[in-house]
Amino acid sequence: MQRQSRRYLSSFSFSSGAGAVKQVTKANFSPAVGELKDRITNSDFIAVSSQKTGVSSAPWTRILPIDTSGTAYLKAKAAAERFELLQFAVCPFKIQGSKIIASPYNFHLFPRDELNIGMPSYSFSCQTSCLTSMAREGFDFNVCIYDGISYLSRVQESASKGLVGNPIPGICQVTSASSPSVADTIFMERIKSRVRHWRDACHNSNKTTDDALVKSLRKLILGGEIYGSRPCMNIDVCNDSQVQLVVQMLSKFSDDLVPLIISDMGGGPKSVRIVLTSSEEDKILLKNELQNLEEEQCKQVRGFRSVIDFISSSQKPLVAYNCLSDFTFIHSKFLAPLPPNMTEFMCSLRTVFSNVLDLNHLLKEIGPLKRANTSHGTNGKDHAHNVLRITDLFAKLSSILKIAPANGTEVGQYARTVQDYANIFYPCSSNSLQDPVDENASGEMETLRKVRTESLIFLWGFRSGISAGVLKSSLHGVHDVFSEDFDVRLVDKSCAIVVFWRPGLAEALLEDMASGAANGSASLREMISEGLKVAGYGTYMRVCRLGLWEEKLADSLDKALSELSSDLLMNNAMDTSEIYGGSDLMINLDDL
Amino acid sequence: MKKPCLIRAFSKTLTLTLARFSPSHRRFSSSPAASISIKRVTKSNFESALEDLRRHVRAADFVSIDLEMTGVTSAPWRESLEFDRSDVRYLKVKDSAEKFAVVQFGVCPFRWDGSKESFVAHPHNFYIFPRKELPVDGPSYEFLCQTTSIDFLAKYQFDFNACIHEGISYLSRAQEAEALHTLGSAYGDELINSQYQSEDLREIPIVSTFDVLFTERMKNTFCEWRDGLSRNSNEGYQFEDNSNGPMPRLLTIFFKMRPALKLNGFTSHQLRLIQLVVKRHFKELVYVRVDGESLSKLVVYTDSDEDKALLMKEVKEDLSKETEGKVKAAVGFRHVIDLLASEKKIVVGHNCFLDIAHIYSKFFGPLPPSIEEFAASIHKNFPFVVDTKNLLKDDIVQHLMKNNSTSLSSAFALLCPQIAYTSKSSGVLSRPCMKVGVQVDETRSSNWNSGAKHEAGYDAFMTGCVFAQMCSHLGIDFNLHAPSMQLAQHEKLQKHMNILYLGWNSGTFIDLTTGAEILETGFRNQKRRYPKVVFQNIVLIWGFSSNFKPRELKECICKVFGSDSVTSIYYLDKTAAFIQFCKSEFVSDFLVLKESLERRNDPISVLHPLAKLLEGGTTHAAIYDTYKQICSFSMSKVLFADQAEAVGIKLKTTEMDSREELESDKLDVGRENRLENPNSDSVVKCTPGSKGNAGKDENIRFFCEDILDSLYVNQSLIRKRTRTM
Repeated sequence: MQRQSRRYLSSFSFSSGAGAVKQVTKANFSPAVGELKDRITNSDFIAVSSQKTGVSSAPWTRILPIDTSGTAYLKAKAAAERFELLQFAVCPFKIQGSKIIASPYNFHLFPRDELNIGMPSYSFSCQTSCLTSMAREGFDFNVCIYDGISYLSRVQESASKGLVGNPIPGICQVTSASSPSVADTIFMERIKSRVRHWRDACHNSNKTTDDALVKSLRKLILGGEIYGSRPCMNIDVCNDSQVQLVVQMLSKFSDDLVPLIISDMGGGPKSVRIVLTSSEEDKILLKNELQNLEEEQCKQVRGFRSVIDFISSSQKPLVAYNCLSDFTFIHSKFLAPLPPNMTEFMCSLRTVFSNVLDLNHLLKEIGPLKRANTSHGTNGKDHAHNVLRITDLFAKLSSILKIAPANGTEVGQYARTVQDYANIFYPCSSNSLQDPVDENASGEMETLRKVRTESLIFLWGFRSGISAGVLKSSLHGVHDVFSEDFDVRLVDKSCAIVVFWRPGLAEALLEDMASGAANGSASLREMISEGLKVAGYGTYMRVCRLGLWEEKLADSLDKALSELSSDLLMNNAMDTSEIYGGSDLMINLDDL
Repeated sequence: MKKPCLIRAFSKTLTLTLARFSPSHRRFSSSPAASISIKRVTKSNFESALEDLRRHVRAADFVSIDLEMTGVTSAPWRESLEFDRSDVRYLKVKDSAEKFAVVQFGVCPFRWDGSKESFVAHPHNFYIFPRKELPVDGPSYEFLCQTTSIDFLAKYQFDFNACIHEGISYLSRAQEAEALHTLGSAYGDELINSQYQSEDLREIPIVSTFDVLFTERMKNTFCEWRDGLSRNSNEGYQFEDNSNGPMPRLLTIFFKMRPALKLNGFTSHQLRLIQLVVKRHFKELVYVRVDGESLSKLVVYTDSDEDKALLMKEVKEDLSKETEGKVKAAVGFRHVIDLLASEKKIVVGHNCFLDIAHIYSKFFGPLPPSIEEFAASIHKNFPFVVDTKNLLKDDIVQHLMKNNSTSLSSAFALLCPQIAYTSKSSGVLSRPCMKVGVQVDETRSSNWNSGAKHEAGYDAFMTGCVFAQMCSHLGIDFNLHAPSMQLAQHEKLQKHMNILYLGWNSGTFIDLTTGAEILETGFRNQKRRYPKVVFQNIVLIWGFSSNFKPRELKECICKVFGSDSVTSIYYLDKTAAFIQFCKSEFVSDFLVLKESLERRNDPISVLHPLAKLLEGGTTHAAIYDTYKQICSFSMSKVLFADQAEAVGIKLKTTEMDSREELESDKLDVGRENRLENPNSDSVVKCTPGSKGNAGKDENIRFFCEDILDSLYVNQSLIRKRTRTM
């Protein structure tokens, strides 16, 4: 592991037993959560990592080096909304000297509709290549689908309250003094007489010993039912004010009746169930029963989310590798639908997780180490071990950067706290997690260069299957701007990006194309007549903003252009963020 | 070697499973769990199974099929509705077939054995998965899963690991053609590039000292190797590799009778430099990439320019042959479909329209935009398709079926009791029953498992049994009519041939020979509980408050257009609804009124009865065609209002057109209307009047508790309707 290390990375070892990742399914969920809570309380950091059913819906919708944080977020958002989580690994850990005390848990998830309410997700996407590589690593899909733990997000939970159809004890609100309307009075009187008849009948039947036939006949006539061991009757209502009327009436009428509100699937009240209790003690007993039932239901509804809630309330700093991707998933699956832009997302996330450390960002901080993203896979190990590698890597980085937990005891005078690094996400994601010191054959030239988004143009409509090199040579000299220094890379097979290293050239080309001045050059004219199209970075941003995630980037750009004219007319007050001030990108062209 | 033996299908106990409703659950009912042997086919035994299947299909009288998918509808509002016009219905099926994946494919050839007077069946259960097997686009980049469907498959013990790990992949005909083209041209390009490379390669700047050193070293190495070859051509010269590893980076081998150096363990950058060195400094050396068992790069020595050209030609031929072989292997499961198409056998499915659409989109190519084109193409490939769901509607069987469900498993239990249950005690045996034997192949017993309901292979077997039994009820004597060409031509089967059941709840069928829709005769009189659907009379509204109940909606519209103006109201989901008016003029009136109310912001429009519907400002309304347009977008949001908003930007231009259309509609239909209301303002003038009515209504409501009660009944009826549909 440590060969060729250029940096003084100290080596860490895991405390015994950490190598064994605890697998958690529906069956052992409750005990595992109890255990995990203790571990979290005793830890300094929590590493998280997740296994998704997909990363991108087309090659170009991955987060690419040409993405700004804005477009990167929109891509991550689209992926989080589309794909599903199948595993979520949580590893609370503590660094003591050169030892890491870690306890990794791997939760198997499946968005099963446990309550039959169309949640947490009606449908989800799978990226074929993603499932194939998971299969190669030995992923057990049956365990996930058969025994995976379900969940609801916070927003879904509150929306589900009415949908579950659980009886909610009716609480008599202090109503305004306004006299009830005629209709209300009639309604109340009618209900009152029904309830009185029923209640009297119940009391009578308790005294006399009727045979079964008479009992069932009485039940039929009076419409009474049994709730648990207690008699009850249902009164249909059609709105909340009627519910209030019934509850009010009952509170004045008798002490031994408990009203329960039954909701229909639409969330509105359907009926009031009146339960007859035998005594004051019995009434308290019933209320306790109802409370337990509700808690049980809540637990079932939240499912895996209770883990997320506990992590949030523990306030421990979180460590992850691809934070943008992981936390857009966490936000969309466990918290709430994703907000429209990065700033709002970060604000919303912060209210739940105050400190999130992005390993990608930390890697960038320690400077010109070899980039961690290489094209190699995850060393054939399964996802669950990723969280341990994150832990190990973080330990190394934190020793360089002198990151100490906020409440740590070893805070030296030069130590920096978690807050200095927290909540900065490095947009460019990579699928593999690799030790920065684990370099392969060295000597590759670093091609990291800074470029402004204005200096990029998108080019499409060329023959498919063409290589960037051929495309570049065919562009060479067709326009003045192409006689200077420029580079061409394919974004996907339908679209290429041209980077002009001298500022102003991209703008000049776009202007010429728009005004028709470019037609002066015969060869360029020919290329345009064959279907070649050009657009600036703004069009690409539009594509991401409008969510035009077509399979080919060329189709998306075409759509964005065709809507440009009509859209401009419609929204004169287009959000000003659209008119971007141009941002710097650090591009490594070899990554494309 | 293989010794086929005939095993009579036997059954165990009757297990009643109460099936929960699920979207993927097209056929649900109680069913017997009979155990028959079904061949399980995955990647590993596909080749051999295909060869066996070829034999069986060729000998078969008919072949039954069944598919299991990862889902059926991508959003609740895309479910099949009574309010589906035929074009909309096709769009929904198209959307489903394009988005979801097929994970299991059951194929079961049936052959009549005259000597035993029984059918011999060979049920096969293929696991398929759209894995990418070639370095070009695979069968699908991603696919959708409907959570309830996946859960449903899990309930029936579907083996997801077998599917994803070992499922057979496939390429559609269109994908195969594209793969051959791109792979062919990719290799072609590379070879062409290697001839005109000098320009292309110039872009690698050799700037770093490391690159310069590496280039020099390789140049020297190649030089030494070449000189060594010519010097010791007779002595078997051993080239000294200066790296002493277990895996030498340069290894002398022979490639097509020529000495060559095999390059190992170089990075792609280094390989590019080597290419450059070879190109620049060695006329007699050629850099080639060979796609053998593993990809390898060679530097080959050639005697002369002619020899060099010859080598290039040989390499190119090898590559294209290899490409063809690989593409053929990647075609995978489609070989089974091609087999069915080329043998022109009767293909039997149960409620198989969606199955056929999946077959088209997965194995032929992208689904055509219209149902007519689709039907024509299917008919060309599969001239004889029988839907047992349609067959069960035949009068001859209707009396047997009584009011039983026409789901596959209940039809199977009813029509083929001797296969479904071996217990001969049941009284139904007074009818003559078709005998079906299942043939297994003993030598590969590990690939057999006993069939279970909702496993494609077993469902295909049941479908075939039902078909055989139905044929016998129709009076077809198999002893006279097999082989299959004659069975397909049998007059008694003609009226059912190529007629597929379409409407889950509208009783419509499609004739594959014409692509036309057929309405089930007598369906409307007998079963229809709802008024006839007239598409011109329908307004689609969406984006209103989710607390707005159907009853309130109806009330609110009736206040404006009269108490019997609304024929029916149907909620697509909680954000969208169809309103069918009693006449088409109301549609345009409604749209005009809505627009004028939105434009004006005076007290009158605020107090207008429709204001409640328009509250929040997000309520939209459009004619029925808009529903079709929204269905045609591939995007699928769960709620209709979200979908409409998401595609809304694109609709802005088309909305203009539909409005124009609407105006012309008014010209045609509502001429009197136009005379009375020469412009839309006069429509607005009507509103104070209707407002007055509304006020009166309010007063009445106070005193008429009973009317209110009857409205509740209405409401619950409407709700029931929205749920059952």
